[in-house]
Amino acid sequence: MKQNQFVSINTTKWADFESLCQGKEYPANLPQLYRQICNDLALARTRHYSPALIDKLNELVRLGQGVLYAGESISFKNIWLVFSSEFPKALYVCRYYIWLALAAFWGLGLIAFSWIQIDPDAIYHFIAPAQLNDIERMYNPAGDIQTEKRHVDSDVLMFGVYIYNNIGIAFQMFGGGALFCIGALIPLLFNSFYFGAISAYIVELGYQDSFFSFVITHGSFELTAIIIAGAAGCKIGFHLLNPGKYTRSYALKHSGVQVLPLIVGAFVMLVIAAFIEAFWSPLDIPSVFKYIVGSIFWAIVSYKLYTGTRYGA
Amino acid sequence: MTQGLNNSINNALPEGVSITLTPAGISIRTKAYLFDFLIRALVMLVFGFVFSFMGKAGQGILLVLYFIISWGYYIVFESLNGQTPGKKRYKLQVVQDNGLPCKLPNIVLRNLLRPADSFPFAYFVGLIVMALNNKYKRLGDWAAGTMVVYLEDKKVNLVSQTKDILPPKFDLSTEEQLAIIQFFERSEELSQARQAELASILSAVLKAEGSEASDKLKAIARFYAGQEI
Repeated sequence: MKQNQFVSINTTKWADFESLCQGKEYPANLPQLYRQICNDLALARTRHYSPALIDKLNELVRLGQGVLYAGESISFKNIWLVFSSEFPKALYVCRYYIWLALAAFWGLGLIAFSWIQIDPDAIYHFIAPAQLNDIERMYNPAGDIQTEKRHVDSDVLMFGVYIYNNIGIAFQMFGGGALFCIGALIPLLFNSFYFGAISAYIVELGYQDSFFSFVITHGSFELTAIIIAGAAGCKIGFHLLNPGKYTRSYALKHSGVQVLPLIVGAFVMLVIAAFIEAFWSPLDIPSVFKYIVGSIFWAIVSYKLYTGTRYGA
Repeated sequence: MTQGLNNSINNALPEGVSITLTPAGISIRTKAYLFDFLIRALVMLVFGFVFSFMGKAGQGILLVLYFIISWGYYIVFESLNGQTPGKKRYKLQVVQDNGLPCKLPNIVLRNLLRPADSFPFAYFVGLIVMALNNKYKRLGDWAAGTMVVYLEDKKVNLVSQTKDILPPKFDLSTEEQLAIIQFFERSEELSQARQAELASILSAVLKAEGSEASDKLKAIARFYAGQEI
């Protein structure tokens, strides 16, 4: 059959198919029509019709398979499922990475804390004196920052800082972890050492109440989320380094699917933490309330982390 | 058709045919990236100007917006139809490895891995990874199982039907015939001089030079397209 004959027989069918594919709902005969188009493409190829015609049919098939094999669209149910079931499941699947990251973060933090407790002057090896002065000023109970009344607008400013900065760091760690874990491990260990050293320094100064009452509540979500993000990045990086029985490309794809709920969960945890850090933590109320609420939050986060990594629930 | 410079890949479908996808290379994706970058920079500038009048709260909102634009721009646009404005401008689309439209998890993953690709600066790692595989996938694409392909022009550019047809006096293989047809189809994008130059390569068999050769070649192309005999 000559090409022009082939085109003139089928051209209305192709036009119908194209317009059906662009509609919202497709009729029951679309799959049948799609298979006919596939057949037309195969015929056009074997008969060596012109490239333009083959391209057109190729495009129609591509369009059709996009419509026919489109997955479920995003619904509230699916989004809820990510948090209610996929996130704990991913915690379980990646439990060794999570445990290692937890151990590394808290272990190194504890080492830094003890070191500075034993030898307070050692902090000057790591942190510049100017920065230490800032920290001292910030948490001095009699200083201008602690006694000054904070306004809502500076709360909003800090909320922006926390969102931009903390979630940015978590995403950087997740993405950077894909480079053989390096991009995740360095920020994780750096932050843990820094946190441990600063805490010890503040205890040394005797400002622990204003410091710990500030960090306790949001720390539950924030630190845990940073650890989870780091663990997720490490998993991708480690699978790239050691793909095991898979090819490297498949190992990367496979680990990507497994850790995605983790980073989504960490993102939500960090948004919650930013709200707490901006609007609750600086509230001018007796510290005991903050300790109580903070302990409750720590209990919830630890329990969820435990049931997640232990039972995937 | 997997010869020479042709970099398209064939993807077998369960329906028994394979479709052809043409992965987009480094240069066009860089152009699309720069276009998107320009848009993001402009939007941020406008926001920066507007919120600079609103004091500290304005700065806070601005930072949240910066965050949303720098991380969410790609995720939002690509999850709609696989195209950011830059990709749309250069007729590119993100699809899954099998050619199907991307789903949200693919998009989120490929964009959250940008820090790895942009390490240490200017997408250095990403460019190297892209250069090392025939689908031009960067690290994020590998992890998410996606690639960026050219969208075919949907308008059918069939060889036009006129009386000007020349049955050739020699036999050509199918691929050679297709090359001549493609010359015809591309000729609208080429200048007259370039057409003549290309056609003159065949001057020995066409027994013509310059624009005469290109006209003759087009007439042969019409014959091969089988429009009218």
